[in-house]
Amino acid sequence: MIEPATADPRPILAVLLSAVTILLILASHRRPDVRESWSVLAAVAKFAVVLSMLPGVLGGTEYRWSMGEFVLGIEFALRADALGMVFALLASFLWIGTSFYAAGYMRGLEEGSQTRFFAAFAASLSAAVGIAFAENLLTIFLFYELLSVATYPLVAHDETDEARAAGRKYLAYTFLGGGVLVLAGTALVFALSGTVSFSAVAGQTPATGLAESSESLARAAFTMLAAGFGVKAALMPLHSWLPDAMVAPTPVSGLLHAVAVVKSGAFGIARLVLDVFEPDLVGELGVGLALAAVAAVTFTAASIIALRADRLKRRLAFSTVSQLSYIVLGMGLVGPAAAAGAGLENVIKGGLLHIPAHGFMKLTLFFCAGIIHVETHTDYISEMDGIGKRMPLTMGAFAVAAAGMAGIPLVAGFVSKWFLLVGSVSAGQSVFAVALLVSGVLNIAYFWPIVYGAFFESHDRADSKPLIEGPLGGTPPDTDATAHTDGGSHHNDSRPADIDDDSTDGDDHGDGHDHHGGPGPGGWERVGWTGAEGSWLMLGPILVVVAGAVVLGLVPFQAGFLELIESVAAETVADRGVTG
Amino acid sequence: MSSLVETGLALLVVVPMVGATLPLALSLVRDQVGWATATVVLAVEAALAARVAYALVLEGGRVVHVLGGETFGRTNREVGGESTEGFAVGIELVGDALSGLVVALVAGVALGVLAFARRGGPRTNAFYSGYLLLTGGLMGVALTGDLFNLFVFLEISGLATYALVASGRSPTSAVAALKYLVLGTTGASMYLVGVGYLFLRTGALNMVDVSRTLAGSVDLPGLEGALYGDPLVVAAFGFVAVGLATKAALFPLHTWQPDAYAEAPDTVTVYISALASTAAAYALARVTWFVFTPAFFDFGPANRRVLEFLLALATVSVLVGSALAAMQPRIKRMLAYSSVAQFGLIVIGIGVAVHPAAGEQATRFAVYGVGIHLVGHAVIKSGLFATAAALAADTGARRVQEYAGLARRRPFLAGGMATLAFGLVGVPPTVGFLGKWYIALAAVEARHWPLVAVVFLSTVLSLLYVARVLERLYFSGSPETATESSGEIAGSPGETGDAVAADGGDGTDGVVATGGASTGMVALALTAAVLTVGLGFTGAELSTALDPVVEAVTDAAPSTEVSR
Amino acid sequence: MIEAFATRYSYVLFAALLVLGLYMVVTSSNLVKKVVGLNLFQTGIFLFFVTTAFVDGGRSPVVPAEAGPGEVFASPLGQVIVLTAIVVGVALTAVALALIVRIYDEYGTLDEETLREVRTDE
Repeated sequence: MIEPATADPRPILAVLLSAVTILLILASHRRPDVRESWSVLAAVAKFAVVLSMLPGVLGGTEYRWSMGEFVLGIEFALRADALGMVFALLASFLWIGTSFYAAGYMRGLEEGSQTRFFAAFAASLSAAVGIAFAENLLTIFLFYELLSVATYPLVAHDETDEARAAGRKYLAYTFLGGGVLVLAGTALVFALSGTVSFSAVAGQTPATGLAESSESLARAAFTMLAAGFGVKAALMPLHSWLPDAMVAPTPVSGLLHAVAVVKSGAFGIARLVLDVFEPDLVGELGVGLALAAVAAVTFTAASIIALRADRLKRRLAFSTVSQLSYIVLGMGLVGPAAAAGAGLENVIKGGLLHIPAHGFMKLTLFFCAGIIHVETHTDYISEMDGIGKRMPLTMGAFAVAAAGMAGIPLVAGFVSKWFLLVGSVSAGQSVFAVALLVSGVLNIAYFWPIVYGAFFESHDRADSKPLIEGPLGGTPPDTDATAHTDGGSHHNDSRPADIDDDSTDGDDHGDGHDHHGGPGPGGWERVGWTGAEGSWLMLGPILVVVAGAVVLGLVPFQAGFLELIESVAAETVADRGVTG
Repeated sequence: MSSLVETGLALLVVVPMVGATLPLALSLVRDQVGWATATVVLAVEAALAARVAYALVLEGGRVVHVLGGETFGRTNREVGGESTEGFAVGIELVGDALSGLVVALVAGVALGVLAFARRGGPRTNAFYSGYLLLTGGLMGVALTGDLFNLFVFLEISGLATYALVASGRSPTSAVAALKYLVLGTTGASMYLVGVGYLFLRTGALNMVDVSRTLAGSVDLPGLEGALYGDPLVVAAFGFVAVGLATKAALFPLHTWQPDAYAEAPDTVTVYISALASTAAAYALARVTWFVFTPAFFDFGPANRRVLEFLLALATVSVLVGSALAAMQPRIKRMLAYSSVAQFGLIVIGIGVAVHPAAGEQATRFAVYGVGIHLVGHAVIKSGLFATAAALAADTGARRVQEYAGLARRRPFLAGGMATLAFGLVGVPPTVGFLGKWYIALAAVEARHWPLVAVVFLSTVLSLLYVARVLERLYFSGSPETATESSGEIAGSPGETGDAVAADGGDGTDGVVATGGASTGMVALALTAAVLTVGLGFTGAELSTALDPVVEAVTDAAPSTEVSR
Repeated sequence: MIEAFATRYSYVLFAALLVLGLYMVVTSSNLVKKVVGLNLFQTGIFLFFVTTAFVDGGRSPVVPAEAGPGEVFASPLGQVIVLTAIVVGVALTAVALALIVRIYDEYGTLDEETLREVRTDE
């Protein structure tokens, strides 16, 4: 007997809404406006369905839908519980904004294959909601794989050599992570404990069986699952697909690679720690500490690499790698916290709250990068000095989101960081608190120059960015040959993708190594704050999302997410008392 | 009603065989009646198969039909004062859930490929005679309960296959068929030697009787006690396994398969890729599980070593097959090597089911996995070949690089190919995932870690060759590149670059001069893709259906009780 | 060892024929010789079956006009197996030779090496 829950079709409805949309999008491939409106409609409908379950879930009801046994002993079932609602709400809400944004972006660049793009996008969101609501490891694996399949066309979208290479790398990593590691871990957990469900089956969770089996096997299962989910969560050293995937169009980098895909990895780890192994077992096995250590190394190293990246998207990618590890850190600290008997609620809250917080902030940042690319074809930070004149609203939003990433109060990132700090100290793992603070400083170090440069410098009087490039104190500006220290080769989204064959790509743009971004010879033109800087299809979502980030920071307790997370944390702590 | 099912077993074999004479007989009167005749015969066959499979799979019965009537079969006779222990006289046809699945598969594929052959295949009457003969032979393999009879049906199927493979217009088909013949005959003869050893030791040919005798549950002079340790018996297993492994194209005995699949006409490839190796793997499962039983492998170190050797071969097949597939520029050869890898997986499942370290759960999952993957892989592989053939008929693309940008021109076929390809990799919710999951789970339950690693890695390995094709289909450039390259390839000797509407070029044939994929071809390809996903949701039903087989395997004492 | 040869000479002969046949299949470069090797190989197996059917002092397994109990017959089952297998072997040989005729028609050679060169394989 599975834990009681109300049978309700809404979880599967939320998943299927965008799956059906795929067909509608494919059918309307000749009428772009109709096609885009399907995306928007589906996003709104999906969000509505998910939102409708929120009051019930906050009140303690869980909505369950099952198709019966998929394989012997495991059902194909979806369950909307508090943790799942966090992810589902985030993904579905942000998709609304992204649909508008993507329409503006793709049209602004006159990209090809837009139908395929939007169809794949819909499929990815379907899979993401499926991951959110999955009731057991096998169902989450199913949607995990479908997510890999659905996002691959988006990574390889540009069809250039680089895009294809990035796509191949992406497939290799995600199928290795998902198809091999997660599946192996699932099989092992099933063999060891007879169940892989996140909710108790006949009073038994996987943890019960796992606790009784050999420690090395249980550790092996945890490691495989953590590594498998960790690939998508961009834990080092499995992260290298993410910077390469930045070759995708920015809406993809934004919603998927900063929100849906990477968060699904982190979400998987959350499910692993909280529902499969459960905090006590994680603490006993010692795997939580190891996970936290990996996370700490990741966010420190990624921050350092981000300092040196000159391409904006690459810096944002490494920032994502770094911030995702905050979530994983929180989950990892669950182990020591459970063992120490203190700080459990706080680390859970901190880790989980960063899911929506980072989502809003990072999406804002990527949206800004995208609109900058569309409007000015600028991709390199060193060319963005004074761009605040040209794109004031954008850079304003960027500044706010960057502040949040650094953990400034009143923007979303602060609350989650606070909980993590408090939790790690109470759990007796102050070294992680120190690491968090260091990382916060590094965050400022790599975002501040962008913001400062945008507003307070002009292109001819600027030091070259990024930090730690030339001798300390800067070098005199040299506008001809700006060195790019990110070591990247020429990347394709500096070229509008309406040029399909890559054999003649160099011709229009001079020497193939150059990019044609940056201000013209006269510097940035001044544009007012009235939104004339770019299409409202893109500006609107940016402003909405950054507002969301601020709301989350100002009134976290009312914004729904924190309530859900608090109930998750409370339930976890309570369950310990029962089964402990 | 159950006597209909019982007679149905015999009819399933007889109908296509008798039907095979019809096209030849009718060719005296008219030409090109082959297709129509085959359709009628196979429609009847499919109806029969549906009824029989329903009884076997969904109702879970074990049905026996004795060929020849009352004179034969089992009675408790006495000869010279000694009881004959109910040994069968004559040949029995036996159907259980596993054979029911294979029967349904054979009938379904045979009828389905006809839709393809209407425009795609050779038109001669002789071809359809061979086609029907092959169907009959495969049905015989699936249904027979006698070891020697299995050899005969294997050879009947084999002969028909050789003839069908050679029915391509180019001489390379003949060479490929000859290679297949030599290797296939050697394999079948090895199997025969194994059967001979068993016959020598036990005096019986009926699978149940041999099984009982080996287990030591008969009371005849010289046959008391379990015979599992007898060198003749162990050697017999070795011969049988090698023989059937050759037919199933396991490494290193697989070398006939890439040539045969690539050089045969497209229709034939679709058919045999689903069924030829499948029947051999089914036979291996049948013999290993029901004649030798898990008790045999538990008996002594030598027996266990033989099993480990078989598993090692299977493992290498998985690895090498995938690696070789990734290196092939020609689609059909790539898919052939992929079959080598997939059958390696199936044989791993067969081996784990009887492995001494496997408990009841492991055996259960292994049986599920083998049963499901036998059917699932057949659907997927024949679907892939059908899609490739349809694409080739439409655009002349036979090499991976010629697939560039085809997704734009042929979105449905490309979508079908993508679905099937992901089924091959094992992405849920396809049926390919189900088989892999169960086999992997069986290996985990048996704590056989090297096997576990190989099964899981096979996902990534299949991705190696699948991703190339998909990337080429969807994300590479323009169709103009395709016609250029196929143009230059048509010039090179002995190659298979057919341009559209060309015929009689070197290499693979079977594309009729009218050019373009017929509706039947596309329909078959898309049906396979839909089935791949559809069957993926029937995991629970299929497992339940295979439960009687699990019980029969884990219950080491075979019984002569039958449900009539 | 000598004893094995003396009492089980049929097995030894069987093994020898098997190996000889296989050797011919593998090493002959002429296609027809390969088929001959195949036949040799199969014949070895048939001989093996027949010898195992032998019963000391048994007569050939044909039902006599006057039935007499207590007569010892050689086992018919082994011989039946061989008959069937011979038929199968004949059919295989026929198909193989037909293929060889066709190959000869198309390529003009029966030599495996030459064939390999003529067909540019991958």
